[in-house]
Amino acid sequence: MRKEITFTLNNEEVTVEVEPKWTLLYLLREVLGLTGTKEGCGYGECGACTVIIEGKAVNSCIYPVLEAEGKNITTIEGLSKNGELHVLQKAFIEKGAVQCGFCTPGMIMSAKALLDEKPNPTEDDIKEAIEGNLCRCTGYVMIIDAIKSVAAGR
Amino acid sequence: MRSFEYYKPNSIEEAIKIMSGLDNAKFIAGGTDVMVQLRQKKISPQHLISLRNISELRNIDTKDGLKIGSLVTHDDIDKNEYIKKYYSALTDATSRLGSKQIRNVATIGGNICNAAPSADTACPLLIFDAKAVIIGTKGEREVDLNEFFLGPGKTVLEKDEILKEFSMPRLKENTGSAYIKHTRREAMDLPILGVATRITISLDKDSQIRCRDLLCTIDSISNILMQLKDEGLKCEEARIAMGVVAPKPIRAKKAEEALAGKIISIELFEEVGEIAASEAQPRDSIRGEAWYRKEMIKVLVKRALMKSIDRIVRPDEEIYPERLW
Amino acid sequence: MENLKVVGKKIPKLDAPLKAAGVAQYIQDIKLPGMLYGKILYSKYPHANILKIDTSKAEKLAGVKAIVIAKDMPPNFRIGFMKDNPPLKSKKVLSIRDEIAAVAATSQEIAEEALSLIEVEYEELPGIFDPLEAMKEGAPILHEEAKSNVLKLPWRLVCGDVEKAKDESAYIAEDTFSTQWVTHCCLGTSGCIAHFDMQNNLTLYSNTQIPSLAQNDFVEALNAFGLKNRRVRIIQAVIGGGFGSKLDTYAYEYIAILLALKTKKPVKIIFTREEEFFATSPRQCTITKISQGCDKEGRLTFREVEMILDNGAYTSWGATTPSVMMLPISSLYKVPNVKYTAKCVYTNNTYCQAMRGYGNPQATFAIESNLDQLAEKADIDPLEIRRINANEPGEITPQRFKITSCGMKECIEEVAKRLNWKEKRGKDKGRGVGMASLIHVGGGARVYKSDGCGTIIKMDDFGKVDVFTGASDIGQGSDTVIAQIVAEVLGIPIEDVNVINNDTEVCPWDVGVHASRTTFVAGNAALGAANRIRQQILDAASKIFEEEPSNLDIKDSIIFSTKNSEKSIPLGKVLRRIHYTTGGKMLMAEYFYDPANENFDKEFKGNLSASYAYGTHGVEVEVDKETGKVKILNYIAAHDVGKAINPLLLEGQIYGGGLQGIGYALGEKMIYKDGRLMNGNFLDYKIPTVKDVPPIQPVIVETEEKEGPFGAKGIGEPGLVPTAPAIANAIYDAIGVRIKDLPITPEKVLAAIKAKEGEKKI
Repeated sequence: MRKEITFTLNNEEVTVEVEPKWTLLYLLREVLGLTGTKEGCGYGECGACTVIIEGKAVNSCIYPVLEAEGKNITTIEGLSKNGELHVLQKAFIEKGAVQCGFCTPGMIMSAKALLDEKPNPTEDDIKEAIEGNLCRCTGYVMIIDAIKSVAAGR
Repeated sequence: MRSFEYYKPNSIEEAIKIMSGLDNAKFIAGGTDVMVQLRQKKISPQHLISLRNISELRNIDTKDGLKIGSLVTHDDIDKNEYIKKYYSALTDATSRLGSKQIRNVATIGGNICNAAPSADTACPLLIFDAKAVIIGTKGEREVDLNEFFLGPGKTVLEKDEILKEFSMPRLKENTGSAYIKHTRREAMDLPILGVATRITISLDKDSQIRCRDLLCTIDSISNILMQLKDEGLKCEEARIAMGVVAPKPIRAKKAEEALAGKIISIELFEEVGEIAASEAQPRDSIRGEAWYRKEMIKVLVKRALMKSIDRIVRPDEEIYPERLW
Repeated sequence: MENLKVVGKKIPKLDAPLKAAGVAQYIQDIKLPGMLYGKILYSKYPHANILKIDTSKAEKLAGVKAIVIAKDMPPNFRIGFMKDNPPLKSKKVLSIRDEIAAVAATSQEIAEEALSLIEVEYEELPGIFDPLEAMKEGAPILHEEAKSNVLKLPWRLVCGDVEKAKDESAYIAEDTFSTQWVTHCCLGTSGCIAHFDMQNNLTLYSNTQIPSLAQNDFVEALNAFGLKNRRVRIIQAVIGGGFGSKLDTYAYEYIAILLALKTKKPVKIIFTREEEFFATSPRQCTITKISQGCDKEGRLTFREVEMILDNGAYTSWGATTPSVMMLPISSLYKVPNVKYTAKCVYTNNTYCQAMRGYGNPQATFAIESNLDQLAEKADIDPLEIRRINANEPGEITPQRFKITSCGMKECIEEVAKRLNWKEKRGKDKGRGVGMASLIHVGGGARVYKSDGCGTIIKMDDFGKVDVFTGASDIGQGSDTVIAQIVAEVLGIPIEDVNVINNDTEVCPWDVGVHASRTTFVAGNAALGAANRIRQQILDAASKIFEEEPSNLDIKDSIIFSTKNSEKSIPLGKVLRRIHYTTGGKMLMAEYFYDPANENFDKEFKGNLSASYAYGTHGVEVEVDKETGKVKILNYIAAHDVGKAINPLLLEGQIYGGGLQGIGYALGEKMIYKDGRLMNGNFLDYKIPTVKDVPPIQPVIVETEEKEGPFGAKGIGEPGLVPTAPAIANAIYDAIGVRIKDLPITPEKVLAAIKAKEGEKKI
């Protein structure tokens, strides 16, 4: 049976009917058309589906949709403001942190959750924040650089 | 994935009431195990009862010993300085479970109720003599964590019972603890083997200073232990727990006994490691070979004990991660 | 090289903003109106007869639009390099990933449910999972028509006289090495959408790395389906990782096409992560027997290699990897006498394909590990033996490779210096250093009949260009490199270059993104087309200025005379002047570049590539003697790249390749038990996480390859080729044990340490 939930998505209030068995990722991608959040594994093992819920990075592929009720949720689509990309997005682009790009949105969301909580993270903090985001292309080095550059720039 | 109803009770009583009226229902907390099992079709409940809205399960109480509500997340524990200082082994475990995203939602109660032989928090809870506080329709009961696990995926919890919290006694002076998770990868991994130790030692001010100097060196573990022997440090009490060596996380009680009352030395630690290994029945699996796990018990028990002592002697120092213990 | 404005600069990848914003459309993200979802039913057993398939219950499920089984495919329709693989199996299954039936339904979930309603009766047969068993007399033959489990691919290369060289060698080292199955682990799983228009022309939205060859394959398939003279259009979605996994066409694509044809609706098949693990084709595992010899001075005298490859149940291009293995076997270091034979053997395991390096990592693991063994026998420092035998420019190798530019010596010296080799080597204490080098194709590889790529450029009235290239971007950044080349030649800002690279309807032919060839081949094609446009521009401007075209240049979209600085005119002005006039023209140019390399002759000799890439990796490791864990303390990756057109992207290839190599060396392994994959998920198949990254230092050595665009050579694959032997050699230096079987797990290291200690006690 469908249930109605209301939550804040990228700073806008959303009310939508959902099926209890859906995951948050399913709602975002298949119902709301927000395909920036990716599914890489479906089991919380790769981080491609990372979104920010109440300030924390979460795997949306194993997040029960009904738990979204009343929450403040940000996806990759919520980062740019008036067509201007977020500093983290710009840093990823400029530092070469993007290759095939499939892990990129999740990676950026993990990095954002970190910087929101800790504006001046250490390299270890950065690694801890993205340890659940697998990337097969870049070897991570330039991703770490990108996040560092934003931290330093604040 | 088959359809199910989803309930979000606000109190323990309400949750139990819902559960007792339903068939084929399951509690869900952080969901990092349950959702995966659902998606893999390993389970197919008709009803899921979420515990996330029950705020009384989220407490961390440090007034007398330590009480941790079952819904406390791994990330909450990571950030708790009191736990990190006094119940360090627990932070060792929570900080290396899964990934940041998992730790942000996965709860300690969930980790234990899932009852995997590899559950990271089980070993630390075992060495802290944790009791599981359980509430059900028949009231509240306490179960020693040793008795809580029945086997892989099986616990003593009855259908309409909820794990409320873990209760651990206050620790004695001069007690240190550590958990070592032996993995192939440095993150996002299950342990090939997990070992937690807690040790209480006799220590006066002077020997603390001398031990401190010893431990500040980057000498090998055996050299340090050899010199430590001259200090005559006595083990008052010890606990050792191991994961992934049996159908459930276990204590190495014979090894604990072998330590109690003895002067700390390399020979003693090696003997204790051997005894602990003899108490384990690891299996071959794709995650690790049995012979290797046995070998690693010997090594990790020694290292975990060293790390525990290090924490007593140098309570305010970060232990270098590149150190072997 | 003259003053370059765009080439040689660290320019961010052009499609990175779309990807970082989350708006890039991967195959997962594309939905067409009325689209159905396809799902495939795979075999339950690795080897079995199919007795019966009953789809009646599934057909009745609401939302199911079509179910197909083997009889819906054209009879005798086979795919793959040896045409031995029917996309749907009828009588017999030969591996656990064999496709038996497929469903198209209105949702993913209904399709899944329908699969569970299809009943298949099997008669299980004993399987063969070991290539050595499969080669034995009397072993059951998997493909009856083939009459043998050994594929009819007679890989055999003989140069000089190995037997004679053996007799004359002062030292010989011989050993056997083996490698495991590893898989690409693209973060974006495989998938496609097949869609027919009213005339039964096919559009396939795809992840393919070979759009032009795939187009051929599908035209052939449509012919087999009875659809003659239909068009096939391949549109590539943004590709979520390639690494060689998409260098063939696969059963799922033919199944999607069949389902789309049956339903007259677009049909999308997307692999789950489990399918991606067990139903795509990994890098082949190998057993390699190798011996090498040298004279008293350490000069290599011969190299002899015998190899067995587990081909799996069917044959993809992976069976041709021995052709690339020949490259390091015959030509890594100067070695006058070479003999190599390889057998690909059918088993009931998963069938193998190309993966970054195309056989080179397996071969180099054996060669470079064994070279250290030889150095020890000859009592020569491993660094020294590499210096003595290093390749040099101008060499013609025994397999007839013409070495043009070659920076191998520089790479070796860079590694020795940065690793502090002399200080660090041979000191006990559980730490050690090791190195290994590589040779790879760096100027295309003529494995197919053509090694070409086409480019079309059109210019608008304002100096902006659209570049239509055959080259596919799989994340490596060919879009950006091509744009840089065009911008440099035309003297325009890179923002004015738009690269279109994803649609066979408009993009010219290209053999595919493989063999580290794209920068070299597609780069040269872009260079050729851009030069033609440039000539047209300068010709037009020369009339305006009354100045020889050779005295004109373009910078910042302004054409000027190099003789008289007062003569200058904006590019756009010239373009409009020649366009808006009677008999006017707009500038367009095309160029098809096919390098002057050669297909192998019958003896597998010939100049495979127009240039060769070199590199040396050096590693310092620390081994935990109690646990067997290996920690990389320092990693130097020196690469001769000809010229770095974009150092940012180039370093990205080295970092990424290096970490994949480290995964290959130390941890990754697909664990197959009796034909079944036991660890098909990201938790148990352990690709490195960010916390597994050691300090990696890329070193770029530039040798200015004459044939390459602006001097460049390929770098896509080399980053992981010498990683595993460099690490294995460092471990040997650290603790005196040699691991000859990848991956080098803590178990293997500890067991070897214990075995060695046991030896000592005796």
